[in-house]
Amino acid sequence: MSHGGTSGWQTPIGAMLWEIWGRRKVNFAFHTIALMVSLFCVRWIQHGTNQVVERVLVMVMLSCFLGAYFDLLTCFGYIEADARKIQLGYPARLLLKPVSTLRLVLVPMLVGGAIVATVLLIWNQYILQPLAHTSALNPYWLGAIVVSFFWWMQALAWSLPLMPGRSLIMLIVALIHLGVGILPLLPNSLSGWQWLILVVLLVSAVLTAWTGLGLMRQGKWDGPSRLNLFWNRWPSFHTTGMRGKFGSAFAGQFWLEWRRQGLILPGITSGIMFVILPLIFLVNQQSGVPAQGADFVKILLILTLLVPLVISSMMGATIARFDQLQASNALPVYIGARPITNGGLVIAKLAMALASSALTWLTVLVVAAFWLVVLQRHWLISLIPDVSPFHVVTTAIGCVPILLLLILYTWKNLVAGIGAGLTGRRWVVGIFTGWKAASAIALVGLFTAAKFNSDFQAALLHWLPELFFVALVAKVAVAFAIFSRGLRQNVITSGCVGWIACGWLAAGFFVTGYAGLVCRAMRHSDLWLPITLGGFLILPLPDLAIAPLALTWNRHR
Amino acid sequence: MKSTLIKFPSPSSAEAIIAVSGLSRQFGTKKALNEVSIFVPRGSVLGFVGENGAGKTTLIKHLLGSLKAMTGSVRVFGLDPVLDPVGVLSRVGYLSERRDLPGWMRVGEFIRYTQAFYPGWDERYASQLLDQFQLDPVQKIKTLSQGQQAKTGLLAALAYRPELLILDEPSSGLDPVVRRDILEAIIRTVADEGRTVLFSSHLLDEVERVADHVVMLHQGRVVLNGRTEEVRAGHISALLAFAQPPGASPVLLGAHAVTGFGSEWRVLFGGSRTDLVTAAALIGARVVEERTPTLDEILVARAGGKGS
Repeated sequence: MSHGGTSGWQTPIGAMLWEIWGRRKVNFAFHTIALMVSLFCVRWIQHGTNQVVERVLVMVMLSCFLGAYFDLLTCFGYIEADARKIQLGYPARLLLKPVSTLRLVLVPMLVGGAIVATVLLIWNQYILQPLAHTSALNPYWLGAIVVSFFWWMQALAWSLPLMPGRSLIMLIVALIHLGVGILPLLPNSLSGWQWLILVVLLVSAVLTAWTGLGLMRQGKWDGPSRLNLFWNRWPSFHTTGMRGKFGSAFAGQFWLEWRRQGLILPGITSGIMFVILPLIFLVNQQSGVPAQGADFVKILLILTLLVPLVISSMMGATIARFDQLQASNALPVYIGARPITNGGLVIAKLAMALASSALTWLTVLVVAAFWLVVLQRHWLISLIPDVSPFHVVTTAIGCVPILLLLILYTWKNLVAGIGAGLTGRRWVVGIFTGWKAASAIALVGLFTAAKFNSDFQAALLHWLPELFFVALVAKVAVAFAIFSRGLRQNVITSGCVGWIACGWLAAGFFVTGYAGLVCRAMRHSDLWLPITLGGFLILPLPDLAIAPLALTWNRHR
Repeated sequence: MKSTLIKFPSPSSAEAIIAVSGLSRQFGTKKALNEVSIFVPRGSVLGFVGENGAGKTTLIKHLLGSLKAMTGSVRVFGLDPVLDPVGVLSRVGYLSERRDLPGWMRVGEFIRYTQAFYPGWDERYASQLLDQFQLDPVQKIKTLSQGQQAKTGLLAALAYRPELLILDEPSSGLDPVVRRDILEAIIRTVADEGRTVLFSSHLLDEVERVADHVVMLHQGRVVLNGRTEEVRAGHISALLAFAQPPGASPVLLGAHAVTGFGSEWRVLFGGSRTDLVTAAALIGARVVEERTPTLDEILVARAGGKGS
C-alpha cells in the first residue's frame, strides 16, 4: 500500500479497491482500447460504407464487446483460486483482515455491480444501440439483470467453495436469470411481476453471500460440510473410478481427461437446449404469426445444429488445459512425472474430445426430441398416417452420415487450438486466438464481398478449387514437416503418426463420399471438387501434428 | 569460499544411476545452477541440502526431465530424461515438494490412476501402505490434511518399487509423525537391494540420520559432495582464544565462519586438526576446544558464514 497515493486509499475499503485497480490495470486499459475501437467503428459505419466493410466492422465491435465485457466481469468478481489451487472462492487473505463480513461482501458487490451495469449501459448507448437501432429489452432492465446474475455468481462462489455440484447450481441460477430476463417479452400477466422478482433476486443474493461468507469466517463452512460428507459417502460414488485397474497408461490418462472435461460440452449444450427450446417456443407464440409444425421444426433444427457447434468452438481454447484451476497452463507434476509419451498424452485428449462430441450430439438429439414431442405432439400425431416403416428406416440411415459429420466438426472445433494450448504459454494462446479471430473476420469479409459483388463471386468460384488445392498442399507439407521433426525428436512414434494420418484420410474420404452423394442428388456435380477439397482443408492436421511438440515444449522447459 | 570438496562419488567410482556433468541453468539473469556435476552410485542414499534458492529443486527437475539442460548433460540410468521420459520415469518414484496432487480425485482413484502407468505396481504393498498411512480411499484429496497428502503422494511414489526414489523436501511443513513415516519409507526402500534414494531437505538432522552421501548446493554451485561422515569429519568447530582481543573479526585461513567477540572466537574450519592449529598460531590464537560440527552448522557456515 505504499504507493496508494492519497490518504483516501488508507482505509480497508480503499485498500480493497486499490487492489482491484493495481492488479487489473492492464485489463482496464484493454477495455478502454476495445471501447475506443468500437466507437471508431460506429462512426465509420455512420459515415457510410459498403456492406462488406460494415459486416466486418460489426464483427469487430461484437468481438470487442464480448471480450472486454466478460473480462470486466472477472476483474470485479472477487473470485480467486486458493493457495492450493483446489477451489475458487473469496480471496482467503481478506478473510483474516479486521473488516466486518458485511463490508467484505458489500464492497465487491456494490462496486462490481455498479461498474458492470454502468459499463453495459455505456456500451449499449454508444455501440449496441446505434448498431441495432432498436432494442427488444429495456437497457436498464438488462443492466439490472446482469447485476443480479453477477451478484449471484459471487454469492455462490464465495459461499460454496467446496460444495460438490456447485457448477450445476450456478448453471441453474444462470438459467433462472435468463428466464427472468425475458419476462418483459412474455404476456403482461407475467411481466407485471418482473421488478418484484428481480428485487427478490438481488436481496437474496446479498443475504446468501453475507450468510455464506459469515459461516466461512467462523469456520463453520470451511472444509467438508455435512452435505459434502454425505456426497463423499454416497454409495454410487464409492466405487466410481475404483473398479478394477486400467488396462494401459492410455486408458488411465483417457479416464482422467474424461473426468475433467468429457462431460462439460454435453452438459452445457444439453442444458442450454433444454431451456432455450421452450423459451423460443414461448417467444414464438407471442409473435403475430407463430411458426407451427414443420416451420417450428425448422427453427428447432437450426438451434439444435448451432448450439453444439458454437459452444464447442468457444470451448476449444480450454481443452488443452490439464487443470482448470491452475493459474498457468503448465503440465501438473502428477501428470508430467508419469511414464507416458507426449504423443500418448495428446492422443488421450483427442480421444476424449471425440467421445465428448459424440455424447454431446446424443444428448442434444434426445433433448430436441423430448421438446418436439412435448411442444408439437399434435403435429407429430398428424404425421403418423403418412409414415411407413420404410420411411423411418431410410430417414434414420440417411441421418447417420450427417450425425457423423456433425460429430466430426464438433471434435474439430474442440481440438482446433490444442497445439497452442499445450505449449502452456499464455502469449502463444493469445497470438493464436488473435490469428483465428482475424482469419474469421477475413473470411466473413470475403464471403460478404462475394455475396454482394457478382463479378467477385464468379471469379472466386472459378478459382476456388485451385485456391483450395494450393492451401491443401501447403497444409499437408506443413504437417509432414512437423511430423518429421516430432519423429526426429522422439516425441511421437511412427505408429501415432500413422493413426493420425489414417484418421485424417478416413475422415476426409468420408466427407468426399458424402459430398459426392449430396452433389449428385442436388445435380450440382461441379461443386463436388471444391467441397471435397474444403472438407480436407477443414479437418485439422498440422494442429494435431504440432500438439506433441507443443507439449514437449511445455513438459521439458 | 573454499574450493569444492569432491571425494565420492565420482564418475569412475561405481555404476552411476545419476550422472550430471557441467549442468548450468539460468532463469532470466539469475543463474540457478552453475557447472554442477554429481554422480550417484546405485544403492546409495543421497541427501541434497542447501538454503532456499540454492538450486535443489531446479536440479531435481532436470533429473525428471521437467527442465532441459541449457549446458552440460543429465543422465539417469544412462538415459536422457528429456529425450526418453518414459524410459526414465518408469523407473523413478517422485514426491514433489508442493504435493501437486489432483484435489478433485479420491485417494482410491488417484492410486488407480497412478497404477495405470506402472506395470510393476505392487498391489499388496500399496494396500499395506494404505493401511499403514491410515488413508481412506473414498476421501477426496482436496479434503486431506498436508500430512495425509504427503502420505498419498509417497504411496504413489513407492508402490511400484522404483529403482530410484526422488523426494523433494518430503517433510517440509509436516509433523514429526509424518516425518517419521517418510524416513521409514526411505529406509525400507534402501533395504530393497540396489535401490537408490535422492532426497532434498532443510532438516539436516534427517539427512544425517538417513543419508550416506550428502551434496550441498550454494547459489547454484556444489560446495560439498561426499560421504556424510567424511563431510562432518572434514570440518572442525573450534573455540579460539586470543591473548589480546583482536580489533576486528579475525581472519583465519580455511575457516568458513567466524563468530564471537573479545578474546574468544568460535570458528568452523574446513581441514585437519593440524591445519587448524597451524592456522590459529599464525594469527596469534590457540585452540581451547574442538568438536565435530553437525551438518546444520556446516550448512549455515558454508551458505551464510563469513570466513576467509
